[in-house]
Amino acid sequence: MTGNIAILGYGLSAIGPGIGVGLIFAAYINGVARQPEARGMLQPIAFLGMAITEALAIFGIALAFVFKV
Amino acid sequence: MSIIALGMEGGGDGFTAPDASIFWEPLIGEGATAITRPVFLMVIAGALVAWFLLATTKRRALVPSKGQMMTEGAYGLVRNSIAKDIIGSHEFLRFVPLLFTMFLLILVNNFFGVIPPFNYPTMSRIGFPVALALVIWVVFHVVGMKKHGFVGYWKSLVPSGLPGGMVPAIFILELITDLFTRPVTLGLRLFGNMFAGHILMALFISGGWYMLQAGGILPVAGAVTWAFAIVMTLFEMLVEFLQAYVFTLLSALYIAGAVADSH
Amino acid sequence: MHMLTIPASGGEGEGGFWATAAPIIPHPIEFLFSLVVFAGLFWVVAKKVVPRLEQIYAERTAAIEGGMARAEQAQAEAKAALDSYNAQLQDARGEANRIREDARAQGAQIVAEMRTQAQAEASRIVEAAQRQIEAERQSAVTSLRGEVGRLSTDLASRIVGESLQDEVRQKGIVERFLAELESGDIKPERVGGDV
Repeated sequence: MTGNIAILGYGLSAIGPGIGVGLIFAAYINGVARQPEARGMLQPIAFLGMAITEALAIFGIALAFVFKV
Repeated sequence: MSIIALGMEGGGDGFTAPDASIFWEPLIGEGATAITRPVFLMVIAGALVAWFLLATTKRRALVPSKGQMMTEGAYGLVRNSIAKDIIGSHEFLRFVPLLFTMFLLILVNNFFGVIPPFNYPTMSRIGFPVALALVIWVVFHVVGMKKHGFVGYWKSLVPSGLPGGMVPAIFILELITDLFTRPVTLGLRLFGNMFAGHILMALFISGGWYMLQAGGILPVAGAVTWAFAIVMTLFEMLVEFLQAYVFTLLSALYIAGAVADSH
Repeated sequence: MHMLTIPASGGEGEGGFWATAAPIIPHPIEFLFSLVVFAGLFWVVAKKVVPRLEQIYAERTAAIEGGMARAEQAQAEAKAALDSYNAQLQDARGEANRIREDARAQGAQIVAEMRTQAQAEASRIVEAAQRQIEAERQSAVTSLRGEVGRLSTDLASRIVGESLQDEVRQKGIVERFLAELESGDIKPERVGGDV
């Protein structure tokens, strides 16, 4: 089996953001369920948080390509 | 050389998984100046969207036809639930053309990944999403500087009311976010989703094909794999729409942050 | 499925650098075309499509608001019509009531009039009849009195044999007889008993 160890690095880098994005949307859903009228206010915050959190995973996949072989 | 090469090196006709090179399809020319297939797809998508929009808005009927209803549905989504809700009702209108163009161009290009004659998500070539992210990056910096002035814009990156010692650290952090993280992640998110989705579908289909041709009980597994490929295709359609939506939404968020009174 | 027709293994020699380049290196032509297509589409959308769509939005809002105004007006009209209809109905009902009352009063009046008229007539008739009866009785009494006197004198003269032709005597006897008769002193006797 041949492959690239960098892809493992990407897998590791995706763990944290995965949990983080899950937490963000859990909180978002919770908030909207408790207070449906706050949806408009929560949505931008949730997506901005997701964008920042997901950045690490995206850097991970970029670096997996950069450090190939 | 191969990134996801899980090749089963068993003799001459072993299965080699598709890798990044399946995305390289030059049609005219060679190397860096080659006009590749996704370039054509991009042009086709742009022409298609322009033609569709012009055709469906020509009559301006109060009771819309089917095509006009689709256009208005997409426009209403971008205008009201993205631009108006996020940027605010007094400044959103001048950004609607930008966001609407982004949304439709990305959406159509993404859907090319599952539409048979094309079968190629244009955005899985990084040149396209990065260019679009660059456009957004330039736009939100320019409108921010126009609104707050050059110095005022950079000052507005730091939230007011911070203790003095934290200001430089926060400023550097915000500077990195604004100048680097935001555009890069905006482009790479779209690229990564399309690239990974497409290569996964290619893997399912080519692997299933390989197993169908093999002997023994492998064809059964091949059929199951192809069934999964169909499920993956449906999932891909969802992801394709979602990525176009998220790209537009984040563009609106960045613009909203730049034109907001307090950053 | 074009992806199946492409050789799955990346041929290093065939495509050169770009065939095997990391997928995160942007291809210049693709980058350029992305900008060009975006600029073209943006121009079309900003110049043509969005103004048209905004116009449709404005028109539709106006149409909906106009429609609402029209609906409100129609509702007001309908309410006014209903009100006037109700008023008319009220009027008509009052009128009918009044007419009925009038008719009843008139009827009662007519009946009363008729009744009084009939009573007057009846009493007049009764009175006339009584008067006539009285007159007839009077005349009967007078004639009877004359007759009885004449008969009595005739009979008495025949029995007594004496002429009672003398007017004064005759009258005196009859008057006395009748007075006695009326006072009950004389019992009627059989005239022929003593004979």
